[in-house]
Amino acid sequence: MTTVQDIPEIKVLEYRMTLGMTTMEGRGFYAPTDVGIADDGRMYVANRSLENVARGVRVTVCDIDSEYYGTFASYGTGAGQFVWPSACAIDSRGRVYVSDEYLHRVSIFDKEGAPLSQWGEHGAADGQLDTPSGLAFDADDNLYVADTYNHRVQQFTADGRFLLAFGREGDGAGEFSLPWGITVGADGCVYVADWGNDRVQKFAADGAHLASYGSPGRGDGEFHRPSGVAVDANGYIYVADWGNERVQVLNADGGFVQKLRGEATLSAWAANFLAINVEEGDARSRANLEPEVDYFVDDPHEESSHIEKYFWSPVSVKLDRDGNLYVTEANRHRIQVYRPSAAGG
Amino acid sequence: MANRDIELIGHLMRRAGFGATREQLDSYAARGYEATVEMLLDQREERRMGDDLIRRFHPELSGMMGTLGSGENWLYRMASTTTPLREKVALFWHGIFATGYPKVIHGKALSDQVRMFRYRGMRSFRDLLAELSQDPAMIIWLDNQDNHKDAINENFGRELLELFSMGVGNYTEQDVQECARAFTGWTLGNREYMELRSMRDSDWPYGRISWHFEFHDHDHDFGEKEFLGQRGPFNGDDIVDIICQQEATARFISRHMYSFFVADEPPVPEWPYVEPQDPDAIDLLVQAYFDSGYDITAMLRALFNSDHFKDEAVWYRKVKSPVELVAGVLRLTGEFDRPRKEILDRYQQSIFMGQFLNNPPSVEGWHQGTDWIDTGSLVERINFASQQLGDTAKPGVRTMVERIAHAPSVSPEMLVDACLDQVGAIQVSEDTRRELVDFASVAGSPNDANHGRIAEVLQMVASTHEFQRA
Repeated sequence: MTTVQDIPEIKVLEYRMTLGMTTMEGRGFYAPTDVGIADDGRMYVANRSLENVARGVRVTVCDIDSEYYGTFASYGTGAGQFVWPSACAIDSRGRVYVSDEYLHRVSIFDKEGAPLSQWGEHGAADGQLDTPSGLAFDADDNLYVADTYNHRVQQFTADGRFLLAFGREGDGAGEFSLPWGITVGADGCVYVADWGNDRVQKFAADGAHLASYGSPGRGDGEFHRPSGVAVDANGYIYVADWGNERVQVLNADGGFVQKLRGEATLSAWAANFLAINVEEGDARSRANLEPEVDYFVDDPHEESSHIEKYFWSPVSVKLDRDGNLYVTEANRHRIQVYRPSAAGG
Repeated sequence: MANRDIELIGHLMRRAGFGATREQLDSYAARGYEATVEMLLDQREERRMGDDLIRRFHPELSGMMGTLGSGENWLYRMASTTTPLREKVALFWHGIFATGYPKVIHGKALSDQVRMFRYRGMRSFRDLLAELSQDPAMIIWLDNQDNHKDAINENFGRELLELFSMGVGNYTEQDVQECARAFTGWTLGNREYMELRSMRDSDWPYGRISWHFEFHDHDHDFGEKEFLGQRGPFNGDDIVDIICQQEATARFISRHMYSFFVADEPPVPEWPYVEPQDPDAIDLLVQAYFDSGYDITAMLRALFNSDHFKDEAVWYRKVKSPVELVAGVLRLTGEFDRPRKEILDRYQQSIFMGQFLNNPPSVEGWHQGTDWIDTGSLVERINFASQQLGDTAKPGVRTMVERIAHAPSVSPEMLVDACLDQVGAIQVSEDTRRELVDFASVAGSPNDANHGRIAEVLQMVASTHEFQRA
């Protein structure tokens, strides 16, 4: 569960920094799909890697100061292994939960990365899972799971006992199309990135539908395939507007506040790499990384593939205790961090 | 059972697509042959697995890192699209304008080139060549970034004439040099950094950046040129215009089209010395090329509606390329109703059979026809097709089996015919049919058409000469 305390009411976000870089092993990320942020600030980044390269599949542990604490887990079907790792959430005791969309299960690790257990069974009955993606804890350490191909949300105890399910396939209020990211607000309400319906839905803790935000499109307050959602203590809603390659901020009523396209700079790890690899660093310094391009198709995905600082596949948004927003980008293998600012209010 | 109308449309779908289920053939036959041709030529109403869905579950098919992503993504399209001719035409151009990973070392650039074939490949040949000349992967593939005003590199200019448009014997060495001069300054943006990253296969720090074309006027030769008998301060676009006016270009592209869609011609290097096997068909296509202002769709329409194409003598003459075989099987099995990790394995099967998309053996692309077949590749092809069609857990196989089981198969002959019908109304030789009937007879009693037995006969059908061909 994300809580933000003692920070000013947020009107705007401003760019702070970029974390990470592309690596298949060790310090770095490869096709990261989510980050779980522990109370002590440690970040657990789930990496999907290339499908034919097992070694890239892992959880990278680091923090906002670019300290690197190691990796854990590996590719496979055994305990403590993943095939298609997706979301990552941390419970109140600091245990790390990672969903696996291929193995239809949730794997649990201690804060040092030792595998503790896993649960989940493939199917459509209550308590069974089909392609679990987003994960979020409530204040009681019960876990909401976006049960993607069952088009519903289920809630489990931390050890995997089924509690409740809500939603079904459709585009009506309370229905879903391949839900992805999920979060729990300070008031216990559940917010779901209803990916295929291009909206975010808000539910009471028991699954009663409360509101829907957004509609298909590229305009302000519109979404294209949103992948992630976070909510701060003041009720502001942060949405990874994945298909539009941007992040949007909505107020508690769903009104549009701000949109971010991405402003990545060199992370500490990236700067270190380019300082060591001088030839590549020099060539990069002479390149125009924001070229004017005659795009073949009018598509933010295409634009992001050319302009490196822009978000490219922003799969997840997460808040830390200080209100910093972490935007994980699967295609750029990094995390952009934005901080709250009252200045624009 | 199939009648000739169904069988003819089956032939059309094997050549202009990747085959069709019997159910699809019924619906096409209800429209009629010419209407089906028009449906294939019409690109507006495509339904397929969406890019969003693919990218969500396969991040690598979004960023296109590595050697396999572009081909995997393409296979999804081939296996799921309702406009298969678009993908078939993209394959056709990929075989001619063959560009490969080992030199480009940028999966997204190669995938972007295929996308360009997909969107430009059925329109004006002139526009396609113009776009190709600015394609970043092609620029690197044929060194046009090294083609400077004061020091030409004629690699692209030569291949443009020799392999992409006219063929050997229709231009002079001076034409090659003048052509190269016209393309000086046509290069890659951020060339130094992009080339260096490719040379090092560097994904650092944030993954690869898409390539884009840049025109450097300071490096372009604006001088007078003499090309194919015409004089002027030609640039690359002018050169493409002149190329497209040539009868040799029309004949070269027409022969390629005939070879790809109708019957195998010898490899391109033999064309100056060997006449086309069906000169009238080439004449028909040349006429369509000029009448339409170089429109590829008009050429395809003329071809598919011609007796040259419909002639039963050319049915099953072409060996399916590995990726055509794999895509066709996946369309029958219906396995990819959603993104699945297994797409990687299915795509790799086509590599094991000898076709690695975006990685052709040379600038001449792949040799077609029986060159696809050797002892090893034949085993791979049969094993793959049999294994997939025998898996009744796959929705498409289950549907076929249930349809066959539903009809009364009172004899092995009827069971065999029903299986042949379900995989796309294919005809087999008497010898093949006899073998299949013998197998069906041994596999169980004539009245015992259970699902497992049907699946076994489907597996055997997948191994036949006719199924492996188009």
